[in-house]
Amino acid sequence: MLIDVAPPPPASRDWRALLDWRPIAAILIAAYLVSGVYVVSADQQAVVARLGRVVDSRVPSGVHWTWPSPISTVYRLRVRETKRLTLGLDGAEPVNRSQFLTGDRNVLNIRVVVQFAISDPATYLFRAVDVNGLVANATRGALAQVVAGRRVDDLLTTEKVAVQERVQQLAEATVVRYDCGVTLLSVGLDSIVPPDEVVEAFRLVAAAREDGDRIVREAESYANGVVPVARGEAAQKGQEALAYNTQVVNTATGDAARFTGVAAEYAKAPRDTATRLYLETVDEVLPKIDKTIVGTDPKAVDLQFVKKP
Amino acid sequence: MTVERSYVRLAAVAFALFVAWLAMFTVTETDIAIVTLFGRPTRTVADAGLHFKWPFESVMRFDRRLMVYDPGSSEFLTKDKKNLVLGSALAWKIVDPNKFLQTVGDVAGAEMRLHDLVWATLAADIGRVDLTDLLSIEPGRARVQALADQVRSTATVETERRFGVSVVDLQLKRINFPEQNKYAVYARMRAERDRIAKEYRAQGEELALKIRAEADRQRSQLLAEAYRDAEKLKGEGDAEAARVYSQAYGKNPQFYKFLRTLESYKKILNEKTSIILSGNSELLRLLTQGKVPDAH
Repeated sequence: MLIDVAPPPPASRDWRALLDWRPIAAILIAAYLVSGVYVVSADQQAVVARLGRVVDSRVPSGVHWTWPSPISTVYRLRVRETKRLTLGLDGAEPVNRSQFLTGDRNVLNIRVVVQFAISDPATYLFRAVDVNGLVANATRGALAQVVAGRRVDDLLTTEKVAVQERVQQLAEATVVRYDCGVTLLSVGLDSIVPPDEVVEAFRLVAAAREDGDRIVREAESYANGVVPVARGEAAQKGQEALAYNTQVVNTATGDAARFTGVAAEYAKAPRDTATRLYLETVDEVLPKIDKTIVGTDPKAVDLQFVKKP
Repeated sequence: MTVERSYVRLAAVAFALFVAWLAMFTVTETDIAIVTLFGRPTRTVADAGLHFKWPFESVMRFDRRLMVYDPGSSEFLTKDKKNLVLGSALAWKIVDPNKFLQTVGDVAGAEMRLHDLVWATLAADIGRVDLTDLLSIEPGRARVQALADQVRSTATVETERRFGVSVVDLQLKRINFPEQNKYAVYARMRAERDRIAKEYRAQGEELALKIRAEADRQRSQLLAEAYRDAEKLKGEGDAEAARVYSQAYGKNPQFYKFLRTLESYKKILNEKTSIILSGNSELLRLLTQGKVPDAH
């Protein structure tokens, strides 16, 4: 040190030497204080603890100052970031860890994705050792509980959304109870499938349902074919009957009119008209037919000759 | 002022700082501290920040945060003698560091005791319920959370009293059948699926038959109705025709008979007909006898 190396100085020089240290000390102190400046970027918030105690739990983005280490500690957190956990079936875990039992005692493999965000940075930092673990357990517990009360078919089809919502409610309640500074944003049933050992049987059920629907559709198309055709046939019959009706009535009316006309003529000169009509008929009929005229006594005729070849 | 005296002063200041350093300690937000005097706890400090103690006292710090512990899965037997594999997850924390220090000492020791206690409580509680109390499709019947809460509250009373540790939460996150039962379970599931598949087909066929039968019934009904209506219409036509005829013919039946007979001749006599006419007939009398008929 300077004091040792220098020749024995007088008292005044001793003071001077001490005085010479002051600017250096001032610079060191200034440098120490300046090192307390810290930057919080736009996507972050910071928590500041002084001597272990949180003094500012929500420092917004920007440039700030606090006492440097070891007095203060600054924790920066990406608060706007959505954290995402995938639970089950993702290779990292054994398959049976993602298995759940349904209310009707079926085994299902379920993969669930849970998303959460930091709601209270200080709490997030200091209340829990493993926030991800807590969120994962709350979700799994909720899922196991909800699945244990549902039918396998409902879970695979209609109730999926309802189950998702219920799991989220329960998990959220648990996470709130943990008070670990996060909010659950969503719980999604990412995949819900029967185990490989039975998946074929489930597929066959789906196929059977398809078959059943197909059979019904075929019957419907048969019905759609048969009934209108029958309706058409019925309409046709009706039309035919109407035609017949019209025809017979009109024929009768015509015949009757004709008869009435002829009868009126007949009434004027019955004998002459009758003779005329008779002879007209004979004119029409006799030319066409094979006639044999015999003498005046028909009883004497030998009818054998009629049987000619 | 000599150099020696300034050395002494420097040493005095250094010593004073050292003592002050020994008399101060900080507690962070994550910790809870015990101040001990020669190993004997004198007080517990739970507030984060700067604190003072006698320089010869020492400080032990414990993590006061919520901790996660997964005791793993084990097999349990329900009241109705069904084997179940249950896996729980615990959230726990140190509430009484003195007791914690005296009884379990560290986190690993606490976890070992938590494991044993939770296992025993769970085994006892599961043994008091049937499988349907855990797995059921009846609304409100499956009481997994109630069971977990019950185990938790029983366990926490014990752990707080004995180890200064509180079980904050217990989740039954795994409920499964044991591996050795899986074969039977899968066989049952397959049989059930088979039955359901058959049911779907049978339902489809039943419905299809109904639809076909209904269609056929509609068809015959339509046709029968059409036949009925058609015949009725025809009959009405026939009746009307008959009425028209009889009205016309009724006025002069003799003449009708005559006329109609002539019509019949036209119809029944054709090329194939052979007729033998007598010369005496009125038609031919003129031809055979050459006489002009008498004038009236």
